[in-house]
Amino acid sequence: MNQKFSCTTCRNADAPLGAFIADLPMETAHHRMESQSVKCGFGLQGVCCRLCANGPCRITPKAPRGVCGANADTIVTRNFLRAVASGSGCYIHIVENTALNLKNTALALSAHGGELKGLNALNRLGEIFGITAADPNKKAVAVAEAVLADLHKPEYEKMELVERLAYPMRYKRWRELGILPGGAKGEVFHGVVKCSTNLSSDPVDMLLACLRLGISTGIYGLTLTNLLNDVLLGEPELRFAPVGLRVIDPDYINIMITGHQHSMFVHLQDRLTDPDVKALAVKAGAKGFKLVGCTCVGQDLQLRGAHYTEVFDGHAGNNYTSEAILATGAIDAVLSEFNCTLPGIEPICDALRIKQICIDPVAKKANAELKEFRFADRERLSTEIIEEVVEAYKARRHKVKLRLCAGHGNDNTLTGVSEVSLKKFLGGNWQPLIDLIVAGKIKGVAGVVGCSNLTAGGHDVLSVDLTKELIARDILVLTAGCSSGGIENCGLMTPEAADLAGPGLKDVCKKLGIPPVLNFGPCLAIGRLEIVATELAEALDVDLPQLPLVLSAAQWLEEQALADGAFALALGLPLHLGLPPFVTGSPLACKVLCEDMKQLTGGQVIINPDAKATADILEDIISEKRTALGI
Amino acid sequence: MKRIFIDPGKCDGCMNCSLACMNAHRAAPVPGTAPDPGATVEEQSVYTLDLTDPTNEARNFIHADGKGGYLPLFCRHCARPECVSSCMSGALQRDQAAGQVRYDPEKCAACFMCVMNCPYGLPKPDQLTRSKVVKCDFCVRLAAGPSCVRACPTGALWIEEVAADTPDLEDVK
Repeated sequence: MNQKFSCTTCRNADAPLGAFIADLPMETAHHRMESQSVKCGFGLQGVCCRLCANGPCRITPKAPRGVCGANADTIVTRNFLRAVASGSGCYIHIVENTALNLKNTALALSAHGGELKGLNALNRLGEIFGITAADPNKKAVAVAEAVLADLHKPEYEKMELVERLAYPMRYKRWRELGILPGGAKGEVFHGVVKCSTNLSSDPVDMLLACLRLGISTGIYGLTLTNLLNDVLLGEPELRFAPVGLRVIDPDYINIMITGHQHSMFVHLQDRLTDPDVKALAVKAGAKGFKLVGCTCVGQDLQLRGAHYTEVFDGHAGNNYTSEAILATGAIDAVLSEFNCTLPGIEPICDALRIKQICIDPVAKKANAELKEFRFADRERLSTEIIEEVVEAYKARRHKVKLRLCAGHGNDNTLTGVSEVSLKKFLGGNWQPLIDLIVAGKIKGVAGVVGCSNLTAGGHDVLSVDLTKELIARDILVLTAGCSSGGIENCGLMTPEAADLAGPGLKDVCKKLGIPPVLNFGPCLAIGRLEIVATELAEALDVDLPQLPLVLSAAQWLEEQALADGAFALALGLPLHLGLPPFVTGSPLACKVLCEDMKQLTGGQVIINPDAKATADILEDIISEKRTALGI
Repeated sequence: MKRIFIDPGKCDGCMNCSLACMNAHRAAPVPGTAPDPGATVEEQSVYTLDLTDPTNEARNFIHADGKGGYLPLFCRHCARPECVSSCMSGALQRDQAAGQVRYDPEKCAACFMCVMNCPYGLPKPDQLTRSKVVKCDFCVRLAAGPSCVRACPTGALWIEEVAADTPDLEDVK
């Protein structure tokens, strides 16, 4: 008999997934929502300070200052800057590793012969960076070194590639505001120093530091990570692919991957389809190896899936789907390199004898064996990982009951959308999209990005509801992040979803055979959305804040999302958040983020937990921008 | 009748009960104004509670006991309430069936004898005007019952149905 763990799972936009989780005999995050439902009001408002031994201090009407004298504005913005700096550090770690992997790969190819997968992407970067080496491998090394050199500059030296990558009108505004970032790692360092005990107490100064971190995070951590990965791993190509728990094929030895650093999997990914390695799987009783996509790195593989259809099964789900993916019993190992690898998967891995291997020490899981990725050791590491996964398969499969969910997800989600593949699809330029926007068939564009959290209505609830509201109003939705994973599993990225769109957008989708929601993949691809926005602005010769373009991180979860959000604000875009980022205790922070930012960068934060009300607000903003543009 | 029970040993001093109390008794939002447009008192989010506004006063208090623990002080709605006995204007009355001490600010003469006489030190003059008393109303307007109890994460507060003649003090464990 199947013993349910409990009857109190949180809401879920994805009904089959919700039913699957509610029926599980093990505890998941979805179950823990109930026992964590009482929240600390001071924490929610960001007015709890534990930066010193006199704390925690909390702001109340009878205690409007902490022991040190800090008021709500100082406490809130210190906490906020700390979160943004941490989030930035995460993305800068990712781009640093990616650049290093590209450099090492290109050096190895130079020595042993061979070609990078994304030469177009390389040439594009070479052009932007002004690197003209004829030999692609030498060019790749130079590109990677240029990125690394910028990242490693001190905070007091400005990064050089910002001007080459940023839209000129934006660059000018950033220079005027004094928020051009120095070395990206130095900015993180500077940020965490600034918000330590009894240093900065100036809330506006700290919010401006957040914008600087937003720029370095966005241009390097997001945009460049995508483009460097494209060089290493091949460029995204449009295709239809299966998504959801259905992608898991129990006949194979299955490795679930979690993280954000696709470049760390390159060697292993290639080895898994080599005949000698496949033979190991066959000998163990399986048909071969499959990588099962989960979290953003799964989105990354899905995005570039055209280049490795054999080893990649498809994207099964986002951050808060990971426990369910493991609970199917058909996963033999988890290979993780970054977040979002939830601690909650550990007891499930224990119970189901799933091997956990971690290849980046920053994401070391308590139960995982650490096999630190070093480029020079890649062959030995891949061999060891493969051997251990085969052993796990042999030890567990005959003992663990499968609990598949073959009906979950769908078979025809459009994936492989990037700034390049989409433009190519439109005929090589953005004019067709601009014409549709001018004609009003498409009113505007909304990026629904970020994570899933379980608090903004339930798993993927606000992201999916908001997306439905937006497309019904003829607003084209682009996604990047775990929002993509939830929205695709709910079927909104299939061509049939056109029926949910308003008349204008529906007509466009039907004619082109595309869904009303276009999946750009991982959260890193927020950088790709920025390129799309910049190229649209360029085509119209306007600045980014003038575009009928809005962003929503409806279900933002983590500190990285806040650093992304700071980038969106620096770009001058309206940014919706479903839950306040622990700032409402400071009237000043709220005013700067929600109001004054319009004068600073053109951006603004909109906080609203309701899908319909939010769609109304975003639609109004789009209408205002259209009117201002005279369309 | 229902009574709030307290286990001081379980109190971690988080003051979620005080925030919930402030939130339950804040002024109702002006309809249509951000950020809680049209929200009823019960729906108002703690996110929008102004933590620096002195009109947002809690009716419960968490005191440090000086030994590393906490003393949560909540109106006991006593069976023999000193506040009611000392009230000359009739503003404080005990609803015997509900077991709750009710306060009518319209009748209150602001003599503050209740403040002087409560053995727990609970009714307080309001901070801004000193013209009325701030006191627990058991969140009678809210269907879900007292907000403080619902907000307690440690189980230090809970509600029990007790006989109408239950004597005072037994409810503090």
